Amino acid sequence: MGGAWFDYTVNGFVIGNIYALLAVGLALIYGVANLVNFAHGSVYVVGAYVGWAAITYLDTPLPVTLLCVVAVSALVGVGIERIGLRPLHGSSRIAPLLATIGIALVLDQVVQLVFTPDPRAVPMQVPEWRVAVGGGTIGALDLLIAGIGLTSAVVLYGFLRFTKLGWAVRATAQDSDAAQQMGVDVNRVNMAVFAIASALSGVSGVLVGMYYNQISTAMSFEATLKGIVALIIGGLGNVPGAIAGSLILGLTESYGIALFGTSYRNLFAFVLLIAMLVWRPNGLFAARRALPPEPMTGTFIARSRPVVVPRWAVAALVVAAALLPLLGQPYLLQIGANSLMYAMLALSLTLVAGTVGQVSLGHAALLAIGGYASGLLAMDAGWPVALSIPAAGLVTAALGTLLVFPAFRLTGHYVSIATLGIGEIVSLVILNWTGLTRGAIGLGGIPPLEVFGFDLGSVEGTYWLCLAVLVLLALLQLRLLRSHLGRTWRAIRDDPVAARSYGVSGDRYKALAFGFGGFAAGISGAITAHVYSYINHETFGASISILALTMVILGGLGNVAGAVLGATLLIALPEAFRFLAEYRILIYGIVLLLLIRFRPQGLMGTV
Amino acid sequence: MTPLRRRSLLAGLVAGAAATRRAAAAETIHVGVSGPLTGPNAQYGAQWKDAFDLALAEVNPAAQRQIQYVFEDSQSDPRQSVAIAQKFVNDQRIVMELGDFSSPASMAASPIYQRAKLVQFGFTNSHPDFTKGGDYMWSNSISQAEEQPQLADFAIAGLGKRRLGVIHLNTDWGVTSKNLFAAAAKEKGAEVAAAEGFLPGERDFRSTLVRIRDSNPDCIVLLAYYADAATIVRQIRTLGLPQAIVAVSSVYSPKLLELGGDAVNGVHVITTFFPDEPRAEVQRFVAAFRAKYNREPDTFNATAYDTMILASTLVNQFGATRAAVREGLAKVRGVPSVVFGSMQFDPNTRRVEGARYKRLVVKDGRFTLWS
Repeated sequence: MGGAWFDYTVNGFVIGNIYALLAVGLALIYGVANLVNFAHGSVYVVGAYVGWAAITYLDTPLPVTLLCVVAVSALVGVGIERIGLRPLHGSSRIAPLLATIGIALVLDQVVQLVFTPDPRAVPMQVPEWRVAVGGGTIGALDLLIAGIGLTSAVVLYGFLRFTKLGWAVRATAQDSDAAQQMGVDVNRVNMAVFAIASALSGVSGVLVGMYYNQISTAMSFEATLKGIVALIIGGLGNVPGAIAGSLILGLTESYGIALFGTSYRNLFAFVLLIAMLVWRPNGLFAARRALPPEPMTGTFIARSRPVVVPRWAVAALVVAAALLPLLGQPYLLQIGANSLMYAMLALSLTLVAGTVGQVSLGHAALLAIGGYASGLLAMDAGWPVALSIPAAGLVTAALGTLLVFPAFRLTGHYVSIATLGIGEIVSLVILNWTGLTRGAIGLGGIPPLEVFGFDLGSVEGTYWLCLAVLVLLALLQLRLLRSHLGRTWRAIRDDPVAARSYGVSGDRYKALAFGFGGFAAGISGAITAHVYSYINHETFGASISILALTMVILGGLGNVAGAVLGATLLIALPEAFRFLAEYRILIYGIVLLLLIRFRPQGLMGTV
Repeated sequence: MTPLRRRSLLAGLVAGAAATRRAAAAETIHVGVSGPLTGPNAQYGAQWKDAFDLALAEVNPAAQRQIQYVFEDSQSDPRQSVAIAQKFVNDQRIVMELGDFSSPASMAASPIYQRAKLVQFGFTNSHPDFTKGGDYMWSNSISQAEEQPQLADFAIAGLGKRRLGVIHLNTDWGVTSKNLFAAAAKEKGAEVAAAEGFLPGERDFRSTLVRIRDSNPDCIVLLAYYADAATIVRQIRTLGLPQAIVAVSSVYSPKLLELGGDAVNGVHVITTFFPDEPRAEVQRFVAAFRAKYNREPDTFNATAYDTMILASTLVNQFGATRAAVREGLAKVRGVPSVVFGSMQFDPNTRRVEGARYKRLVVKDGRFTLWS
């Protein structure tokens, strides 16, 4: 057995090695721009395809291939900085994050349109010799990847410590306004950093493509996710730490497989992430001090004057919405019902992210909990649907609050990453807890919507039910926001220290917000489950969390009407673009980017 | 889309338009397709399209009722597949629906199709509960209850293996397959020494393979799709594991050879579709596919092709209404099929039985019949 553990260790290092190339670039960008770059994995895919095209069409040898990849990826990086970051300077901290999500969407679609979604084999350009290590082997490419990872980390470290431009980079990272006053051209620094980091990401894309002899357009999200986890373990913005973090992540996954089996691999990675965030939020290698000055009080969410919609207009809109089924357009109604279900989720998220300032990237987990709770209560316990849905709301409120409780002491980006991890953990627990959830097989035959004998399974019934529930939830939320509770939540968001010194216990109020938000999201998930009749662990995936956040930011953080508008727009737009066929998601991404660019505070303004 | 493909598509459109003008007397019948054209599963939607176009180019010119399909991109996402379902059920031109690709997307839309009494024909839906969604849910997807005993028989009776290490995709399809395989293996007197489930998108299998190795199997069984299988086999070889490898039919694809390179030599695979099979339906399909797309078809192409031929048969034999298609599915006999030879449905399970399995082995970078 000792031999096996040696093998698991080697394997952990081999995969960690691959994560390291991604994490170093992410760390560099975070270090300078204070931004988790969600487009990093997409640049990695661009690099992989550029390399593939160079080898396939131009027959380039390895150094030339890498040069092509570096050039194109760096250019893409410069573009991300120019489009996604610079115009948003000073708007809010969350807008650039959203912009990188939009850019990722656009890049992935462009690559898919140019190269088709078919997976491709990347010809191996590195000698194929291998040496036996323990029970397995290590090849030349493993060493090359390790070499590039280490060299780039060392060079970057030296660059940041010992060169004048490096000092400028670090000065910019600490305080970009002050750096600008001292004569640092902040924009150029940012641009250089994005170019370097993206070049690294592109190179890792092509090398990993060679490693597995396979590239596909679908690999970007996974790459981003693993890079971010490694980044947190090593410490946000800490370049040498990113390498160590990646190796630790690789080892954790490998040992997780060794102990519990392959299906537990990612569960281990994300549990490690949460543990790190709770106990060592600065990463393993930072001196133990308080969280870095990350939550620059009040600036995480942009200030703006919310758009005031007169009451009579809101009432008229609700009446118009209620009359929509009379038009006899079931397709339109289904989109309406979908929008309403997402609006409930957006209400929940706008409260948590906007009003309390806890930007959650794992909100889909609440849908999953609600959906499974209601489905199981109705199917296994035989509850009527009219009872199982509100019960699911309560279960989600309790369970959701409990799950994010460890993340309450975190702020800013740390909350987003912690909730991203918690969301993945929920999905993986659903997958692995076969006894309760039926695992990958999923819940089939969930009874349709009905309320005490009234069948609401038709699209009209579903629509009306969703509309009624949404109006109730929205009124309740508006009432809460106007009460002392709403003021306290905003106080915690705007200045936690001041709030605490006034005797406000942040944790309890955050728990209240997550409780109420969990209730709304749980109801949404429960209704969705009964409409779909079948759900499994993939139904409420990470992409839904990101979609929900996009809705909320688009509508205006904390803004109830904005949440509903954002949900309606983002559900309706991809449907409206159907005539564009393969191009519709690309256009959707571009529209999203334009909206962020010109309304970073959201359509209805933040509250 | 490469320039070459775009041009051929354009040519196809022009030819199609010309054909329609010629047969002005013929009626045009619409079927709806809900499937992924963008998103992580977009490759499968693209494969469907190629096969549909091929099938229609073949059957439409001679048919009284000519099929035209309306393809809506769902990204294999339930939120979009339910909206598409409403679109289709309220489009009175549509007499039959094909798809979606994944179980969550397909089964979420089932209640809508069932309510509207429009046949939802899932040709990639092997989830055991798919056709239980109602009597309008039909499928010609290969039943894993039929396939897994065949696979077990190949490994146990064919190759004489007794300790099997299973690596399966951790999805509804993979877990169903794994459970059926384990039951069949036990019945045939072999033991499943280890079963490891991996998530879609995983690329690193080294530690999984150490677990498999330490369970001392004499054969490794792959329940995966071809792209993942290529990666797994490469890592089996770089780790130096000597065991025989046996794989399900979804691994059979020309892409396996491309993505797996030399490593996939010696891999055993069962398949329902094999281009070198002399049967007439197969040869006609393969020749036409090669001529049109200049590459080798795979199982996904073959199933999609079969499905469109079936749709044409149904509307031409039984009538071009939703009720006629539903009735026709229960009655139709002997539809020519690449996968099944000839296709008929069991009206109780609403599935097809009797897929013909071939045993293949990869030799010198080619699939050859195993003997």
